[in-house]
Amino acid sequence: MGLTGIQIFKLLPKTNCKECGSPTCLAFAMALAGGKAELDKCPYVSDEAKATLSEASAPPIRGVQIGDKKVGEELVFYRHEKTFINPTAIACLVTDEMDDAEVDAKINNLNTVTFERVGLTLSADLLAIRNSSGDAGKFEALVNKALGATEKGLILMSDNLDALEAGAKAANGKGALLYAATADNCEKVAEIAKANGASVVAKGASVEEVSNFTGKIVAAGVKDVVLDTGATDLKSMFYNENQVRRAALKAKNRDLGFPTIEVICDMTDDPYKEAMLANVAIAKYAGIIVMSDIDKERMLPLLVQRLNIYTDPQRPMVMDEGIYEINKPGPDSPVIITTNFALTYFIVAAEIEASRVPTWLLIMDVEGMSVLTAWSAGKFVADAMAPFVVKSGMKEKINHNKIIIPGYVAQISGEFQEELGTDWEVIIGTREASDLPAFLKGL
Amino acid sequence: MAFSAQTEKYSGKMGTLTFGSGDQALTVGGQASMPFAAFDGDLPNKAVIAMEVYDVVNPEWPAAVVEPFKDVINDPVAWAKKNVEEYGAKAICLQLASTDPNGEDKDAAYAADLVSKMLAAISVPLIVWGSGAVEKDAEVLAKVCEVNEGKNLLIGPAVEENYKKIAAAALGYGHAVVSQSPIDVNMAKQMNILINNLGLPMDKIIMEPSTAALGYGVEYSYSVMERISLAALAQNDEKMQCPMINDLGKECWKAREVMLSDKEEPGFGPDQEKRGVLWEAMTAVDMLLAGSNLLIMRSPKAVKLVEECINELSA
Amino acid sequence: MSKQVITAGIRGANVVVDRVEGKINAAIAKFGADKEVKLPNTAYYLPVIYGITGMKVETLGDMLPVMEKCRQLLADVPVDNCWTPYLGPGLDSGMATLFAFDMEEALKYVEGSPYLDSKEDPEETDADIWLGAADDIILRKRGVEFVDGSAPGFAAVVGAASSPDAALAIAKELQEKSIYVFMASNNENGNCFSKQLVEAEAQVGWNTRLVPFGYDHSAAIHAVGFAVRAALTFGGQTPGDFKGVLKYIQDRVFAFILALGPVCDEQYAAACGCINFGVPVIADTDFPEVLPTGVCTYEHVVTNIPETEIVTKGIEVRGLKITIAKIDIPMSYGPAFEGERIKKDAMHVELGGPKSFGFEFAYSKPLDEVEDGKFTVVGPNIKDVEVGGLLPIGIWIELAGRKFQEDFEPILERQCHHLLNGAEGILHIGQRDIVWMRISKKAVEAGFTFEHFGTILHAKMHNEFGAIVDKVQVTIFTDPDKVKEHLEIARKTWVDRDNRLADMNDETTETFYSCSLCQSFAPTHVCVVTPERPGLCGAYNWLDCRASYEINEHGPNQPIAKGDPMDERLGKWKGVDEFVVPASGNAFESFAAYSILVDPMTSCGCFEAIAACLFAANGIMVVDRDYAGDTPCGMAFSTLAGSVGGGLQTPGFVGISKFYIGSKKFISAEGGIKRLCWLPKALKEASKDMIDARGAEVGVPNLYDMIATEENGTDEETIMAFLTEVGHPCLEMDQLMEMM
Repeated sequence: MGLTGIQIFKLLPKTNCKECGSPTCLAFAMALAGGKAELDKCPYVSDEAKATLSEASAPPIRGVQIGDKKVGEELVFYRHEKTFINPTAIACLVTDEMDDAEVDAKINNLNTVTFERVGLTLSADLLAIRNSSGDAGKFEALVNKALGATEKGLILMSDNLDALEAGAKAANGKGALLYAATADNCEKVAEIAKANGASVVAKGASVEEVSNFTGKIVAAGVKDVVLDTGATDLKSMFYNENQVRRAALKAKNRDLGFPTIEVICDMTDDPYKEAMLANVAIAKYAGIIVMSDIDKERMLPLLVQRLNIYTDPQRPMVMDEGIYEINKPGPDSPVIITTNFALTYFIVAAEIEASRVPTWLLIMDVEGMSVLTAWSAGKFVADAMAPFVVKSGMKEKINHNKIIIPGYVAQISGEFQEELGTDWEVIIGTREASDLPAFLKGL
Repeated sequence: MAFSAQTEKYSGKMGTLTFGSGDQALTVGGQASMPFAAFDGDLPNKAVIAMEVYDVVNPEWPAAVVEPFKDVINDPVAWAKKNVEEYGAKAICLQLASTDPNGEDKDAAYAADLVSKMLAAISVPLIVWGSGAVEKDAEVLAKVCEVNEGKNLLIGPAVEENYKKIAAAALGYGHAVVSQSPIDVNMAKQMNILINNLGLPMDKIIMEPSTAALGYGVEYSYSVMERISLAALAQNDEKMQCPMINDLGKECWKAREVMLSDKEEPGFGPDQEKRGVLWEAMTAVDMLLAGSNLLIMRSPKAVKLVEECINELSA
Repeated sequence: MSKQVITAGIRGANVVVDRVEGKINAAIAKFGADKEVKLPNTAYYLPVIYGITGMKVETLGDMLPVMEKCRQLLADVPVDNCWTPYLGPGLDSGMATLFAFDMEEALKYVEGSPYLDSKEDPEETDADIWLGAADDIILRKRGVEFVDGSAPGFAAVVGAASSPDAALAIAKELQEKSIYVFMASNNENGNCFSKQLVEAEAQVGWNTRLVPFGYDHSAAIHAVGFAVRAALTFGGQTPGDFKGVLKYIQDRVFAFILALGPVCDEQYAAACGCINFGVPVIADTDFPEVLPTGVCTYEHVVTNIPETEIVTKGIEVRGLKITIAKIDIPMSYGPAFEGERIKKDAMHVELGGPKSFGFEFAYSKPLDEVEDGKFTVVGPNIKDVEVGGLLPIGIWIELAGRKFQEDFEPILERQCHHLLNGAEGILHIGQRDIVWMRISKKAVEAGFTFEHFGTILHAKMHNEFGAIVDKVQVTIFTDPDKVKEHLEIARKTWVDRDNRLADMNDETTETFYSCSLCQSFAPTHVCVVTPERPGLCGAYNWLDCRASYEINEHGPNQPIAKGDPMDERLGKWKGVDEFVVPASGNAFESFAAYSILVDPMTSCGCFEAIAACLFAANGIMVVDRDYAGDTPCGMAFSTLAGSVGGGLQTPGFVGISKFYIGSKKFISAEGGIKRLCWLPKALKEASKDMIDARGAEVGVPNLYDMIATEENGTDEETIMAFLTEVGHPCLEMDQLMEMM
């Protein structure tokens, strides 16, 4: 762990000048400690303090930006220790030996396969373009095509330095990732990257091999490095990913303080198995994974997995407040009210959906707390719920007056009824969501 | 800076649990490192997948998961045999859904008899799972224990409200118990202590820290299990050194991402089976990565995928 | 005192051992030493001998070494003019008696069993009712009930009651509490309890839990054998590990002996044996008691208890916990009714409240002064009130328990609200002397009377607080004079209680309590609750934590022996660090109870308020959850909560309960209340009494007026001007910045 807020505060000018945007130096220090502010924002910080602070605050794993997607900057081994920060980037592979239709289909999938969840749009992130043909011209043409076809960041993959350079030039300014520099050619690749604003994958047969030359790439002026440590299967990937993270976090090995890339589509031809590899890679530390295709059936579980694993454990996912329609409800459909903790919503919504009973689900903003927590925090209580129900507009959509509350807050029923008055009739629902289908069918 | 491989040594070790009797008995747990980290410590027993069999199937099950069992879906004993003989199940979990008082409400004697019949028909260890109705489970599982004395079944889930009856019956008639707690590290520990205090030894207890599927709180299960594993290994907390089991099949196959056809939700993709298989397999792998020793799963395809992962990671 | 009992026991033991030795020799002469000896269908040989000594008696010859053992244990009958013996020789002789009885009963089976072997119940066609030794199938089936608590224990009844009806009343009382009744041994006049029950037309047998083992004194051994086999089967005890077996039975098999009618020497001898297992004897006749505790949980032998009270006494002396499965009221009961409102037109009667007066009060008394389950109404009952009526109310709860402590009284008293509200048709608001209740017409139509308040409180307090409560007696006052009279008594006690709590301090307390309830979302957070520092959520003070631990020893509140002080100013103790550091998963290295700057307590996220250093002002501000505006530290409550919560030590900040502001230990390492220079206005006003009191104590009686609020400013510069103007003491104190 880095410095505490107070330790940082001691090094700041303590003038409360507000020029950093924080109202006090203390608030700024706390933001710095939490990784939510940059030291550069303080115009008056001394050089000495700057040196101390930047040393202490330099991330053990560098953040690398590819297009608009950032990877790296992780601080922990287990998500409960703090949180995982930048979700694993998922890339789709196209090659310059594929026919146009295949390339178009893959890019189209990459661009269009998206899922809405908890107010977020989930999608894959990068396009990996491989120079399978060995022909620089073909590669360059494909890169140009891709640049016109997608906004996603690019990974340019070639063993042929001319091809790599041609591709990098075409994608100059787009923050592409060049794949890959090896022990033998790393200086040259770094040069290409530097000239074209790209980052570089350092690729070797093992963690050790890679660790030996990342320093050269940095020395050549490319700080944004990604590691491919040569894994060829699930087991070696698992081992290498563990070792890289340990080296970065525990041994503070700066040569390995970079995000990783796993080209999992080279490890198997089986789409199911590839999905399993991707699943492990997301949980166990990969910065980028390259897959053969972005199809809906695999992406849905993978993107949800990524969202779940990278959720901040201390900051619950929340739903937007409002009326949710499940199973196409009509004026006579029942109304259920619950909290905007995303998990509560998902579980309740899934059970209602499974019941096939058309239902209105009224979600109230209680800062993402579950029903009982929100109740005990005084947020999911009668005098807060009643005004919400009244202004929600629910009444206008229905021809009855019944509203169902979670069984766990049965104790508020009386007060809730009083607050709502005669416009509504409060009904106590089930304690567990799993009992909802039977309850709804029995209404 | 020169790279040197780092290893973690832990002061504690997870306990083991053996279920099933005679030559068929299976042992899980006993790991001295975090999952699959054989480079850190001994991993004596591979994780096991038990395939589930229902004595009554919810008509809402998607066709994709009924398909592999459609010829045996109304005959739990035949279903169990098929799982073992055709799909290579290493263990069976009988889900006594029909005993649910909100459903068919079948009685304890029926359940005990079904278990006896299943034991006679299969050659692998058996897990017997209640319907989740707390009071009824106590009654049903106690009877299952009594009638099948000495078979070393794994029975559960025992929860705070019914553990006494279930654990006492397991103790009296020679079975092992699943100790289930709401997703919380301290509650999991408390359940272990309570059951252990009744007299059931720690090596007859396996923890079910409440399993959530992908998208339905899997991250909570994941972190609680990682924390339990670390408490057992790094802090050598004896009361946390029970292996872990995850009842995940039923959680996965009711997710809306699995239940809905592409007609109902076109964005999810047309291949409903693929979605379902991967939903279950990925949830399973997450549980394994967090420290699970025993998984209860439904789809043969998902089981095969996960077993391949276990084998490759353990190779 | 106890000498008479022990002497009789030793005398009886000698008689029994001599007699059984004769019987063994005769049997060997008749059948040969190799003749097999076996109780029906058991793997435990002669179970008492096997469990205690590990000796397997399989033939008549095997009995001889056991006989030798009996002789070793047997003490000589003491002479009158000697003070000895005390307990030791008596217990050993008693054990010899049990071994001898074990063999005496086994010899019956050699001759041809006189019992209904392996039967659960005698049938009408059977010649007699005696069941003899339980086989292993019965043992398992019934033993499971002892493990899971559905049978809380057994009463071994020896002798006979004064009449068959008295016997039936005793049996019924035991049955109602699900306690097994094991019966054996006759009286000097040949009467026995089992036969009395049959005469009173009770169905006896395992299924009614009225188990007639046998007529002879020796048949009582089957009760002991049952307990010993339970220890071996369910407790995993090793045969011969007598300490383990005895301890298991004492801790897990809650048994007691009811000795009815005159007690003979052989019965004394067997009783001495049973005391070894922690099984106390309760007798209805008058002979000297063996009161000092030691082997048994509480007393050993209690005598001269009337038949009508003997069951209650047995339960109490054995420390048995009773749960009440169903609350016997004519309305439904459950959490769903907790929120129920009763409108005027649905109300039958209103109790207490603004238009009348009322209170509820719980206090503890010695065990023998409380009659469990007694509910009395003093004044008009529900039937005497017209619809829409109004009455004063006093709910007077008398509690007793072996483990009850006076400090638990307010905790149980506070439960009334929650417990009574669970009943359909009862609305309860307030506590102490602001109680206000309504009873619905529907409840009255269903048959509700005021006694049912007692029924509810009795059942729920037993079930939820059984660990500390053994007896609950409730009196309901509705007579205005009686209510007033008792209210005065209650008020005096409340004042005493409040003073006692105020007088408690950290220095004189050796045990603090942890609270790890929040580790589910803040894995490294451990609250340390001391008498002068409540939990940061405000919901748990030290007494609550202690009660919570007494009720659930494996729960989230654990005792912390504070150990030697390491730094009294900061509030660091060796024992506390040893507990807290591992409990946090080694997330930090040390813990200070009273400091905001050095190793402050972690904060989960449930804190009522956050204290933060204001370095320019050299003071401390506190902001609570209800204040959403800006604060002088530059962060609103929500921002502060985000950076302070989550189980981290955040020097300069600490989550606290609002009540802690009034504590002498409030951030005392940095100067305490004198540092307090900014509060939200609402919090300041709510805390006025505490601030005035503490300000006076520290020599700043007008401190309240010196504390800035949002009205004086929400940035450090502005409030500095205010603090300087009023001359706030924090400006003159040691520099906070230097105190780290």
